[in-house]
Amino acid sequence: MSETTPKPVAKDPRRRKGGADSDERIELVPTLRRLLSYVVHRRARFILVIVLLITSVLLSALLPYLMGRAVDLIGARGDLDELARIALTITGAAALYWICAWQSNRNIQFLAQDALFRLRTELFDHIQTLSLNFYDRQPIGEIMSRATNDIDTIDNFFSRGLNQLLTATMTIVVIVTVMFILNVTLAVITLVTMPIMLGVALFMGRIAGPAFAQLQAKLSDANGFMEEALAGNKTILAYGQQRQSGDSLEDLSVGVRDTGAKAMLAALSVTPIVNVAQNSQQAIIALVGSIMAIQGEFGFGTVLTFITYSGQLQSPVQQLGQIYNTILQAAAGAARVFAILDEGPTVQDAPRAQDLQLKGGHVVFTDVDFSYVKGRKILRGNSFEALPGQKIGLCGPTGAGKSTIINILTRYYDVDSGTITIDGQNIATLSQASLRQQIGAVLQEAFLFSDTVMNNLKYAREGATDEECIAAAKEANAHDFIMQLPQGYDTMLTERGANLSQGQRQMLTIARAMVANPKMLILDEATSNVDTRTEKLIQEGLLRLMEGKTSFVIAHRLSTIRDSARILAIKDGVIVEQGTHEELMAHKGLYYDLYMTQFRVRPEAATG
Amino acid sequence: MRYVVQPLEGVLLLRKQPIGDSMYKNFRRLLVIYKGARGPFIVSQTFLAFSVLLNLAIVALNGTLVNDGVQQGNIEVVISTAVWMIGLTLIQTIFALGNSLYAVLFAEGTANFLRVGTYRKIQTLSFGNLDRFRTSDLLVRLTSDINNVKQAVLYGILLLFQAPFMIVMAVAMAIFLLPSLLWLMIVIMVVVSVVLFFLLRGVQQMFVARQQALDGVNNVLQEALAGVRVVKAFVRERFEMQRFAKVSNTWLDAALSPAYRMALFVPSLQLIVYTGTAALYYFGGQGVFGGTTNLGEIVVFSNVLSMVVGPMAMLAFIIPFLESGEASCGRVFEILDEEAEIQDRSTAKPVDVSNIKGRIVFENASFGYRDRAGKTTGLVLEKINLTIEPGQTIGFLGATGSGKSTLVNLIPRFYDVLEGKVTIDGINVCDLPQRQLHQIVGMALQESVLFSGTVRANILFSRPDLDDDEIVAAAQAADADSFVSRIPEQYDAPVSRRGTNFSGGQRQRLAIARALASRPPIVILDDSTSALDMATEARVQEAVQGLMSSSTKLYVAQRISTVLTADKIVLLEHGRQVAVGTHAELIQTSPLYREIYESQLGKLDEQPERIASPLAGQSMGGTA
Repeated sequence: MSETTPKPVAKDPRRRKGGADSDERIELVPTLRRLLSYVVHRRARFILVIVLLITSVLLSALLPYLMGRAVDLIGARGDLDELARIALTITGAAALYWICAWQSNRNIQFLAQDALFRLRTELFDHIQTLSLNFYDRQPIGEIMSRATNDIDTIDNFFSRGLNQLLTATMTIVVIVTVMFILNVTLAVITLVTMPIMLGVALFMGRIAGPAFAQLQAKLSDANGFMEEALAGNKTILAYGQQRQSGDSLEDLSVGVRDTGAKAMLAALSVTPIVNVAQNSQQAIIALVGSIMAIQGEFGFGTVLTFITYSGQLQSPVQQLGQIYNTILQAAAGAARVFAILDEGPTVQDAPRAQDLQLKGGHVVFTDVDFSYVKGRKILRGNSFEALPGQKIGLCGPTGAGKSTIINILTRYYDVDSGTITIDGQNIATLSQASLRQQIGAVLQEAFLFSDTVMNNLKYAREGATDEECIAAAKEANAHDFIMQLPQGYDTMLTERGANLSQGQRQMLTIARAMVANPKMLILDEATSNVDTRTEKLIQEGLLRLMEGKTSFVIAHRLSTIRDSARILAIKDGVIVEQGTHEELMAHKGLYYDLYMTQFRVRPEAATG
Repeated sequence: MRYVVQPLEGVLLLRKQPIGDSMYKNFRRLLVIYKGARGPFIVSQTFLAFSVLLNLAIVALNGTLVNDGVQQGNIEVVISTAVWMIGLTLIQTIFALGNSLYAVLFAEGTANFLRVGTYRKIQTLSFGNLDRFRTSDLLVRLTSDINNVKQAVLYGILLLFQAPFMIVMAVAMAIFLLPSLLWLMIVIMVVVSVVLFFLLRGVQQMFVARQQALDGVNNVLQEALAGVRVVKAFVRERFEMQRFAKVSNTWLDAALSPAYRMALFVPSLQLIVYTGTAALYYFGGQGVFGGTTNLGEIVVFSNVLSMVVGPMAMLAFIIPFLESGEASCGRVFEILDEEAEIQDRSTAKPVDVSNIKGRIVFENASFGYRDRAGKTTGLVLEKINLTIEPGQTIGFLGATGSGKSTLVNLIPRFYDVLEGKVTIDGINVCDLPQRQLHQIVGMALQESVLFSGTVRANILFSRPDLDDDEIVAAAQAADADSFVSRIPEQYDAPVSRRGTNFSGGQRQRLAIARALASRPPIVILDDSTSALDMATEARVQEAVQGLMSSSTKLYVAQRISTVLTADKIVLLEHGRQVAVGTHAELIQTSPLYREIYESQLGKLDEQPERIASPLAGQSMGGTA
């Protein structure tokens, strides 16, 4: 088959953005060995593939030989019966070759896909065990890119590169050996001209490679521009910038067109130019072989056999020339994947971690210091106490550290110094799972999975029954609207619950928290507002959820925490005031200022 | 290099070509853009034909080599034949490269034409059109769909006629050389066609299924990552692992089935060639022994035989490319055929923007969104009557879906009213050129979008003529100067794609600065302070008041604090204007207003006396 399909010969691995490990210098051999261990994992299959490959390569060397014999026989006007025998042997060998080649292809594909399956599952499982600080460091897009692009590169290596590497190596070894057995002179001529061909192929690859890298760069510029502009198209329209935006895209697009044309032309030139080299090589073999045939050393059939061999060697040699790139890319991708696999969770359960024994929910923070990044303290020397059943309100400007306080309460992060105890147990000695199972959380972003309503509710607790979920939905005021959905509790929610209103999503997350039936509670109030009726339903649901439980509420609207047993006003990581609403109002400090700003009353205007 | 397509104005031609429901109707419609490129097309295919012909000629030389050279023992013939072979190879390469060059020019030219044309077309669309196409959808059409069309054009020029040329010439050669074995050639071609048909049948669907399985994997992954807080909060890591294992397994199966099928591909074609060659040797050998033919012809015949298979396989391979190119082309045309909802009227008259005072009147204005078919899906705004005086500060309050954002979008004519009218200084907005309208109304949209570039470029955006003082003044009013001046590069600080290097609140403040920069007579801030804390928001509002005292200022908000001090608060519910007045008035007269107030700021009777009483002299409005 002719190789006319243009392929991006080599994507420049340097174009790939390295995230956490932008240091692209990787140890090639250990990385590759580790990568290959996923393939060799199924040893029996792997050995089978090798056996099949060797057989098919041997047969593909035998077939041209047999065909040469047939031609010689015809040329010598030999026996028709013998010709029939050779023809039948060719057919038989071809059939056997067909089975071996097919099965080896098939099994290699199995090994490749199976290895990929294990690699990506392992990657996913491992990511699940990592602590939140991993997610803080790596944006979702970055992790997605590891799990898709990098795995893709590895896929390319496993399902194409590996097959090529094995087949090419064996083909070269077997055919070169057979050539030397058949005729040393022709073998030497074939091999002498081979480097010329390889050189031409590599040279063309070297031209096309950078051209494609350049094209990739231009293309990602243009695509990035369009993505950004389309996402902000209404802004462009509102400011009448349509023509300018179109002009910018045209510039980028013309750049893509020009580099694209160069790259494609370079790629498309590889085959014809390599063909020149190959045809010339065959002409030389034909020339020398024919002269030797005239001198009676062998029949013309042998010349044909060698021409076929030289053709059979062409693509393996070319592939070996290019495979290095595939391997480098796969290794770079694998190194990034392994970097994640080798990362341990920063928050770990102590060796003999106890489960939290939650009685009343008496929480004590003593001198708690915390930093996400070493040296940049987010919380400083914070102490406070929540008595069983109390509602604690947290308020303060954006970035003051409100969310951080609740993050460390369930050990999403470990404190730098100081202690947090719940009912007398230091949380550092407790298992993370037991903390989170007993301390419920309703978070700012009402995140739902694209699954049925019922499964979203059941998500909160393994083994929750339908009845429990429906009861929780009723408590959370969600039952009524759920029943109005097309399939009630079996309604599929679209991506992140987009087919529900924001208020409905919030009610569902409250119901979900109720299913978990936690003994303590964390609430991070949503910033955006819903209509007042829904707002009331949500507040009712929250009140029922918090009933009798120690709860921590981060408020964006101070009216929500007004009735708290204790309000913590936080600024720059320090609890600057604590007390009841009345106490803090009388104190006329941070809380008072925050409270008054809501009414657009300048503090001095109100006081004076 | 000349790219073989019409200049861009050809997009217009494209739109005026109604073509019936025929095969490849979209490609046919696309042909318009190659008007005048008939010559290059014919040249490219002539190159292709010559390249095929020369390939066969080189093969035919093998016959001379055997018959006249080897078998006659004539070394001179051997040498000259070998030289000819190399010479013809060189010429053949030139033809092949020529064909490639044209293929590339056609393909890249087409892609560029469609990309720029479609993008420019999108730029002419209105909000209503944009609502119906999702961003991701538009992007897919501009990237992968156009890429599909490009591939189809490339392969079309490069390969479509290769197999037919090859088949015709091979049959001709068979007739010429070995008519007695023509049947063998035909049998092999038929077998190859049948085998290709069965091998490739359903493969396309398998690849689609694989893609879907991959999407499934990515969805679970994306969700598990985006919802990591929920996963961890409910300790469901193990459940996620099971969920992923399931989709990952589905992907494994979906990836294996086309891979297994393709594993058969090359070996099967090779089997046909080997078997065919064996048959050729046997039957041809009979002919040689019988003296009706000679060895050279058999050698040539066997080479031709193996050469025919490749192009046939390629043809089978490119048909799916052509089909997906055709479908993609159709999706691109969908955009090109979209009619912009809002266009300048022929009666639109330019005005002197600097003379606009900013008096806005809604007269019985009603509005409803249109669906894809262009039908109105019910009223979102009903009979709005409202007069806004120049320099006033107006707050629009209401729940999500109450229509407040839609209402202000009618002022810069992002949407057209269904009934009634909206006027600025007495001029119906439909009678103003859109460009001018957008200069009159400075707007920070609900979603604060920044573009890559510098902070300065983002604030200037539509007005490159503004000087630094004006920029800084706008940034100060938007409370953006406070953080911009702390960046080392200040106003030249880079903004990354979609402004991701700024926080949500910072993006909002920069978007406000952009709206203020040109001091338009009307400023609309559509819920654009929602990510700011109360104190910052209050600061921004006060500063805007100072900078833009003579402009009409409209605030759309869900937070009642945002509108508390406005000259007039417009309360909307389900598209109706239920109350209009100052805070002091509404708190007394509108139960709904009072309800919203209390739900957000707490019970009136629990508040300090100074606040509960109508705000004493705290109004932001001045000039009204």
